[in-house]
Amino acid sequence: MRYVKLPSENFGEFFNFLQRLGPTYGPVKEGKTHHFREVKGVSEMDLNYTRTMLPPKKFFVRPRERLFRLENGWWKEEDGERPFVLFGVHACDIHGLKILDKVYLSDPVDPYYSKRRQNAFIVGISCMPDEYCFCKSLGTHFAMDGFDLFLHELPDGWLVRIGSVRGHEVAWENEKLFEEVTDEDLRHFKEFEEKRAKAFQKELPQEGLADMLDLAYNSPVWKKYAEKCLACGNCNMVCPTCRCYEVCDRWVDAYSSVRERRYDSCFMESHGIVAGGHNFRPTRLDRFRHRYYCKSYFDPSSGFNCVGCGRCDEFCPAKIEHVKVLEEVRGSLR
Amino acid sequence: MTGNPYQSHDARILEVKDLTPREKLFTLRFIDPEINESFTFKPGQFVIVDVRGFGEFPISLCSSPTRKGYIQLCIRKVGRMTKFVHKMKEGDVVGIRGPYGNGFPMENMEGSNLILVAGGLGMAPLRSVLWYTLDTGKYEHVWLLYGTKAYEDILFRDEIIHLLKHGETMNCTVKMAYEIESPSCIYLERGFSERVCRGVVTDLFRGESFDIENSYALICGPPIMYRFVIRELLNRKLSPGRIYMTLERRMRCGVGKCGHCVVGTSVSMKYICRDGPVFTYWDALSTRGLI
Repeated sequence: MRYVKLPSENFGEFFNFLQRLGPTYGPVKEGKTHHFREVKGVSEMDLNYTRTMLPPKKFFVRPRERLFRLENGWWKEEDGERPFVLFGVHACDIHGLKILDKVYLSDPVDPYYSKRRQNAFIVGISCMPDEYCFCKSLGTHFAMDGFDLFLHELPDGWLVRIGSVRGHEVAWENEKLFEEVTDEDLRHFKEFEEKRAKAFQKELPQEGLADMLDLAYNSPVWKKYAEKCLACGNCNMVCPTCRCYEVCDRWVDAYSSVRERRYDSCFMESHGIVAGGHNFRPTRLDRFRHRYYCKSYFDPSSGFNCVGCGRCDEFCPAKIEHVKVLEEVRGSLR
Repeated sequence: MTGNPYQSHDARILEVKDLTPREKLFTLRFIDPEINESFTFKPGQFVIVDVRGFGEFPISLCSSPTRKGYIQLCIRKVGRMTKFVHKMKEGDVVGIRGPYGNGFPMENMEGSNLILVAGGLGMAPLRSVLWYTLDTGKYEHVWLLYGTKAYEDILFRDEIIHLLKHGETMNCTVKMAYEIESPSCIYLERGFSERVCRGVVTDLFRGESFDIENSYALICGPPIMYRFVIRELLNRKLSPGRIYMTLERRMRCGVGKCGHCVVGTSVSMKYICRDGPVFTYWDALSTRGLI
């Protein structure tokens, strides 16, 4: 890793340079929540945010996207992907993207996702947790890779970690904006990280979790929460690692049609239904449990399918808390 | 465009044959001769049929890779897409992408006995296995235990009756159980009294002794069938690792991305389309929700 310092007074100029790379998306506050939106200047953004409603996955796996266009009976491929900058992404969301990478970039590579991934210039930013965050217990509170630049707040600027060749090139081109990191900066960086580590209020103990949950397959706790759950699918939409999609063909006019894919939710009854009407997850209990198992799946190579961002808790209309459900399920074994 | 796994290849329908009132057999050939030449698969794999402008659906290949130059799909009219395909005629073009899934490990099973257990439409993927074994001749003995509803529902009826008559000369024993009595069934039963009976597919195990040490079972049928057939096989001490089943789930992409076919829990998650659709019974024991 290479470390440089970006003094506060150069921040605006640096941001202006990034905008030359392509449309820049950053966290913007609208009402009570934050969203990633296209921004034209630093002043539009609110960098002091905890989480956006939709995670940055929306730039890579679109809520609705066109795969092909059918004209006169032949498929034409959709094109028009351009480089873009994603500014102010938190560590948990970077980990979320890495989990999506594992799926979409494994053989066979999804060309749509892969193109966008290559086009994206990702600038991470440090954050302070709120009452919903539990990323620290999952080890996703700090990103070691998966970004081009990562900014850590200092009293008089930003400590910048350079995570890729492209990030290095950008820093190179703007050499005059950056300074060497001093011992004092390092002290501030360390202090900030220590303060942050203490600020977490929630944790999901990982020890033996995967096996415990598997053993608690018939636990009454699943049923209790499934009855509370509204099956609205909100948690799927806002989750940075949920990625189920549905494909549909749609006629645009009498001669042409498009093949689109859009987000799907495992809480919908249609998710597990096959031709002939047999449903492999017929009850809400089955679907509720399935989502928790999917998120808690432990992959030896990359850990859990959950990054602890707390979105599913914050945006759950039934106020179901992810960590609490898993803790109770584990507790029901005792 | 090359490199897009969601892009299907044009295939022309060479022949449409009525198998039953609900099922038709489609014989297809890729229009691009290069693809037609290079396309190969393993018994048990599936393809995704792309009807442009209407959608896609997954379907098992029911021909054998030993017979090159064409593929066959047995399609039951059961939903919107298949209803549409049933209206298609010889000469029409559909898109095909695949083959997908793991298929049966045919090479590992060479020299062994195979017990094929099919229920209803489960006959389609197993027909691929059956042809493969008969064409290669690399297997000791093959049993086909086929459970069907009525005489009209017997898939590949001509082939089944042919094997009932002449199977033994090819080291192949075909047995059949039917549920609904009809004159044709009684006629069949009279002709092959030892191998055709009224009942369910598990009844066909009665009186049959398999060399368990050297046998594999390959099962395909409706979800309810697995439990009973597996119980029968386990009673005969067939190892869970030698029982292969091919499973059905909703498969949208076929390449392990869309997430509809995911099964399992926190310790083991599997994509039916990528890790399956062929699983051993051991996989089912260690992955919840598989069957």
